[in-house]
Amino acid sequence: MAGASTSSGAKAALVLIGQRLASSLLTLLLVSVTIFVIAQLLPGDAAQEALGQSATAEQVAALRHEMGLDQPAPVRYISWLTGMVSGDPGQSLVAGMPVSEVISSRLPNSLLLAALTALVAVPVALAIGIGSAMNRGGRLDRALNISTLSMVAVPEFLVATIAVLIFSVKLRWLPSIALASDEMSWGDYLRGAAMPILCLSIVVIAQMARMTRAAVIDQMDRPYVEMALLKGVAPVQIVLKHIMPNAIAPIVNAMALSLSYLLGGAVIVETIFNYPGLASLMVNAVTSRDMPLLQACAMIFCAAYLILMLIADVTAILANPRLRAQ
Amino acid sequence: MDDISALSRRGLIGAGLSAGLGLGAGLLLPDSALAASKPRRGGRIRVASLSSSTADTLDPAKGALSTDYVRHYMLYNGLTEMGGDLIARPALAERIVSNDQTVWHIRLRRGVTFHDGASLTSEDVVWSLLRHKDPAVGSKLATIAEQFAEVRAAGKQDVVIRLTGPNADLPAILAQSHFLILRAGTKDFRTANGTGPYMVSQFRPGVRTLVRRNPNYWKTGKAWLDEIELIGIPDEVSRVNALLSGDVQLVIAVNPRSTRRIMASRGHALLETQSGLYTNLIMRQDQLPTGNAHFVAAMKYLFDRPLIKRALYRGYATIANDQPIPPFHPYYRKDLPQTALDLDKARWHLQRAGLSGVRLPIYASPAADGSVDMASILQEYGSRVGLNLAVNRVPADGYWSTHWMKHPLGFGNTNPRPTADLLFSLFYKSDAAWNESGWKNPRFDRLLLEARGEADQARRKQLYGEMQGLVHDRCGVGIPVFISLIDGYDRRLKGLRPVSLGGLMGYQFAEHVWWEG
Amino acid sequence: MARSIKGAIALPLSGKIGLTLVLFWILAALIGPMLAPYPVGAFVAFDVFDGSSGAHWLGSDYLGRDVLSRLLWGARYTVALAAAAALLASTTGTALALTAAVGGPKVDEPLSRFMDMLISIPSKIFSLVLVAAFGSSLPLLLLIAAITYVPGNYRIARALAVNLAQMDYVQVAKARGEGRFHIAIAEVLPNMIHPLLADFGLRFVFIVLLLSGLSFLGLGVQPPDADLGSLVRENISGLGEGALAILAPAVAIATLTVGVNLLIDALPGRGKRK
Repeated sequence: MAGASTSSGAKAALVLIGQRLASSLLTLLLVSVTIFVIAQLLPGDAAQEALGQSATAEQVAALRHEMGLDQPAPVRYISWLTGMVSGDPGQSLVAGMPVSEVISSRLPNSLLLAALTALVAVPVALAIGIGSAMNRGGRLDRALNISTLSMVAVPEFLVATIAVLIFSVKLRWLPSIALASDEMSWGDYLRGAAMPILCLSIVVIAQMARMTRAAVIDQMDRPYVEMALLKGVAPVQIVLKHIMPNAIAPIVNAMALSLSYLLGGAVIVETIFNYPGLASLMVNAVTSRDMPLLQACAMIFCAAYLILMLIADVTAILANPRLRAQ
Repeated sequence: MDDISALSRRGLIGAGLSAGLGLGAGLLLPDSALAASKPRRGGRIRVASLSSSTADTLDPAKGALSTDYVRHYMLYNGLTEMGGDLIARPALAERIVSNDQTVWHIRLRRGVTFHDGASLTSEDVVWSLLRHKDPAVGSKLATIAEQFAEVRAAGKQDVVIRLTGPNADLPAILAQSHFLILRAGTKDFRTANGTGPYMVSQFRPGVRTLVRRNPNYWKTGKAWLDEIELIGIPDEVSRVNALLSGDVQLVIAVNPRSTRRIMASRGHALLETQSGLYTNLIMRQDQLPTGNAHFVAAMKYLFDRPLIKRALYRGYATIANDQPIPPFHPYYRKDLPQTALDLDKARWHLQRAGLSGVRLPIYASPAADGSVDMASILQEYGSRVGLNLAVNRVPADGYWSTHWMKHPLGFGNTNPRPTADLLFSLFYKSDAAWNESGWKNPRFDRLLLEARGEADQARRKQLYGEMQGLVHDRCGVGIPVFISLIDGYDRRLKGLRPVSLGGLMGYQFAEHVWWEG
Repeated sequence: MARSIKGAIALPLSGKIGLTLVLFWILAALIGPMLAPYPVGAFVAFDVFDGSSGAHWLGSDYLGRDVLSRLLWGARYTVALAAAAALLASTTGTALALTAAVGGPKVDEPLSRFMDMLISIPSKIFSLVLVAAFGSSLPLLLLIAAITYVPGNYRIARALAVNLAQMDYVQVAKARGEGRFHIAIAEVLPNMIHPLLADFGLRFVFIVLLLSGLSFLGLGVQPPDADLGSLVRENISGLGEGALAILAPAVAIATLTVGVNLLIDALPGRGKRK
């Protein structure tokens, strides 16, 4: 029975993955069109922004020609798309080098920061969520509840600035800015990334923990839990074996959502700690109207989001017998 | 002042040359203050500038922000250079002379080499100057380079520049970072081949610039530090925190509100530079109701200048008088009556303009430093005289291309320029592209041309004085204060002095400072 | 009325605290400006970042304005905007999620793809463009905040709803021949209300913070008015000296958001079981 359901679960998951890959391509295409269209609404273009206040009309025209901005918008989009399909995201209009080169210097930083934050935040959030759910109404629950709430109730930039004031300016334990250099050791990196990880964790832990708590409590009221309790199964066992499989769908969904925030939403933390990540690069691309770079960033964020969602849905299917059976 | 320009007229230049601008001695530290510490070699510092992005460049012509200027002055030299006295002195040029202020003869210094070992020749200079006229280069000073009618080599060490008209300020113009000299034919700007005090070790746009000392630098003894790392920290609070936590040793653009914290730290100090930087109210003269002279007068009376100086800038500002020449400038006209907050006069002018009770949007943006708060102040006082201003704060992003000069009532922000002529030509001449208020004054235009070709300092001062009066009385631009520039530094860093052209010694600190660690 | 008072008395202590805080802030939003000692934009203190004094209970801000007055004026923006946007986002997201859950793949697929697209465009860029195109206004801010948080609510609500739609009692209802609309409203929705309320509480918090983030980009409420988040942001340089001007609005945000969430958590779960 267990074996059969697992294999049918795996099959369902495979089918889902197949479908998702197809629909993901569609979503990416949609996003690229949307980004392109809304970027056209932005005032000014890359040539104007690059030349700034002092531009003469002649210079703008020359630079537009050089950047290919004098072609009609649909033509530009199609040529970007054909490049993208063949694996070439094009040339950054502003930096004057290939987009892939610009991105490759930032993407690893962002992924590393997100991964380390997830490594810290997910276990903590699960522990807080389950712990407070099991202790529902108790003192621990209330304490955890208030502390997660207060964590999320403070603006991110305030948390970051307070952390810097304490750990860098006062105690001088950690660098106030994340310094990137090639000759950096892992120890140096971790010291620099400690506060960004801390601040991002604070933002995402609260949401994940609260959704976990809500989902677990929701299951705890169900008859099957009461049955198990009556049978004398230990509470920890109930939570892990019976409740979690049923509560997993909303939990992984909340987690995937929170984690997707770690890439694109890290812009404030990246700004305050001067962390060279993708989010600030994308803001850069917007302000300089660097379309190829902007598109590439959007594609990456969208793909990362889709992958996280896929993981969430597959996990939900594999864990929930009812969905598996479908 | 006069005897220097007399030298210039007799063509006896070589030691120093007036660009037409001297400076009040108030800004210069006495030499004894510097004598306490002797320059020494060695040390490595990290410097945090204002911003850093993928637009960072090693091409001086494209320099757009303070970070770029600082980077360029580390790597390249100009034909001339400017110190705290705002006098342009020969640098790569050994001398620069003219009899008629139109045709200029430049003799290059011998024995100057680029970082790749090649010698500096007239060919490099001609190429470096003429590229600004090529629209494809995208030079920020293309409009100024239009004055170069001809730039040609006259032998290996000599260059002749013929201007479209007389301009006594050419030496000062050539000291700007955009006109720094490159090796002829340079195309690849992923690294830099200059003659400057430092050489590129690593350049990563948006992340950092790392430079090491040029051992063959042509200025004897100069460039003391072994290495400088230049980064950008756009967030001001983060920048100051980085200084206070010891992660960087020098930061540009400290907010006046952060000065208390820096002064409270024993290891750190402030460098205040009085400058001609200002944020100004723009009242378009070609639109209504802002084109009404009574309206303009009323708005100028609504500025509570001491409040702006105190609250917005915590005293790090100089009260201005609706014209762009600051009080410490040698051409400043002292006898103009100072406009001050006067609600009765403002109300009277508004009534005369028939604008009492009218509702007007006023556009402000973080892009123009302090403008949002200035707009709030104007709104507050406006409400007391029956003028209903609606503050419209718009994003910094895209402000200059979409909003600046496009609304009847808005704000601009003007950086210090090396000469009065540049300032007036760029922002106040009737046909200037950035004639912010769109005023037209033929008399002003005539005076401007006359002053440009005038080599006599006393006469020049008189001409510029009359122009200040015209702007003060008639122009649709309100300038409440001149904003001082504030840098913060680690006290172990020595040799910093204010240069009113910009922060960090007019962006040229790199070759002058040393580390006493 | 009597019932709601009885309900309030039945709340646990944390819920009572939450209710008190929420009522306090609603009151502040309604009558705050009447109580404010000074106009919102008036420059009344000589010094900036002053401490508490008789004339200025909460000190002065970075320009020498009265912090208490600015707080009382600003509360309405935060309370009203955040509540309206969170409500809009949650109802829209949940309604769409229910539609998707009972509507089958033909409805579910396009809706989910659309939401994916919406959510993967970073909200800041979205806001920048909209403000650039239409100019900053309160309705636009409301719309931006709502749209930003619809997809998140949709994801969570859909996950809950799909799960519930597999439950026996829903299948039974289907077998009974109940209409889809009835199933969604009567069978599915009541059982997901509790986690959705928790989600609403968090979304409320996020919207309060988003508003402050927007003012960081110059997109928020127009000066001299400011919402609570903007008050924190504009006084951030006073943090080093522990200025009241930054502590007061930060505490205000914390009490407001914690209050809302405490109240929601304490509401009795009204899940209907069969």
